[in-house]
Amino acid sequence: MPEIHSTEQLLQVIALACAVLSLLIGAWYLVRRPHLNQVTKSMLLLGLGVFPLIVSLTGNIASFQYTLTRPFCGSCHVMGPYLRDAEDPKSNSLAALHSRNHKFGETSCYTCHADYDMFGAVTTKQNGMKHLFMYLTQYSGTGPDGEGGPPIHIYKPFKNGACMQCHSTTAKGYLEKHGDNVEEIRTESVRCIDCHDVVHPLALSRRPGAKKGAAP
Amino acid sequence: MRTPTAKTLVFYAVIGTMVAMVFMGATIIFPHPLLLVIAMSVGQGIAIMSLALYLLGVALDLQTQGGAYIPYEEPAVAEEPVAVEEPAAVEEPAPVEKSGPPKE
Repeated sequence: MPEIHSTEQLLQVIALACAVLSLLIGAWYLVRRPHLNQVTKSMLLLGLGVFPLIVSLTGNIASFQYTLTRPFCGSCHVMGPYLRDAEDPKSNSLAALHSRNHKFGETSCYTCHADYDMFGAVTTKQNGMKHLFMYLTQYSGTGPDGEGGPPIHIYKPFKNGACMQCHSTTAKGYLEKHGDNVEEIRTESVRCIDCHDVVHPLALSRRPGAKKGAAP
Repeated sequence: MRTPTAKTLVFYAVIGTMVAMVFMGATIIFPHPLLLVIAMSVGQGIAIMSLALYLLGVALDLQTQGGAYIPYEEPAVAEEPVAVEEPAAVEEPAPVEKSGPPKE
């Protein structure tokens, strides 16, 4: 029996178990067609009401947790180059370095690209819906890494706030290295990735002949 | 089940719930973005509609039967009647003798 290592896996197991129970009750009703007495009504209330509600709740939480992970971000083929670089143990790109950090773990894409504000999760998921729409309408027939499609670009400039979640601009080591530009970095007039620009080196925009204006 | 309408509603509710459960279960096993979006929107919509259909079907069934099932209860055993004092007997007035000429 597979072991359960996380809350997400536990929720998945609960959701699957309740879905199976609901399906069994539905199949029982369709095969037997019993009279609608109290027992039948109670069974159907479980199968059509209680179990689906549990599936919906636990399934939503588990699915939302999964959408934060790197395999989910890389499940669209146009993200292949980004995923391969992030998971390459020999790569020194920012994406790979952060993905190897155990504090980011599997959620390295989301940690850096999610909006860092009160409703950041909501706005990030809204952008995710845009990604899905663009993927279906513009990238569905493209090459293995999205060749032939329009260049992938980030919706808005990458904010320093995403970096400063972890890299404090008041730390001694940081001040020693960035002493002259600290105020500009804090006010976003200088962007972190202007200097630390090897972020996603395998992206199509980095390949020879790529159009300008694509993502770094 | 007496009315065909209620029977049909419950049948479609069961079918809808099964479709929704297949969607949601598949999403958990194969979490592809498109499948996830469909399950979280269309799948849950179908499940909610199915539950509403089922409740409507049960309500129609109960209405046809003339109301909810209320179990028959034996009437409680009556307690011993409280002794009621009878009203005091009213004394009847004494018959008034009619005065008249003496009988011969």
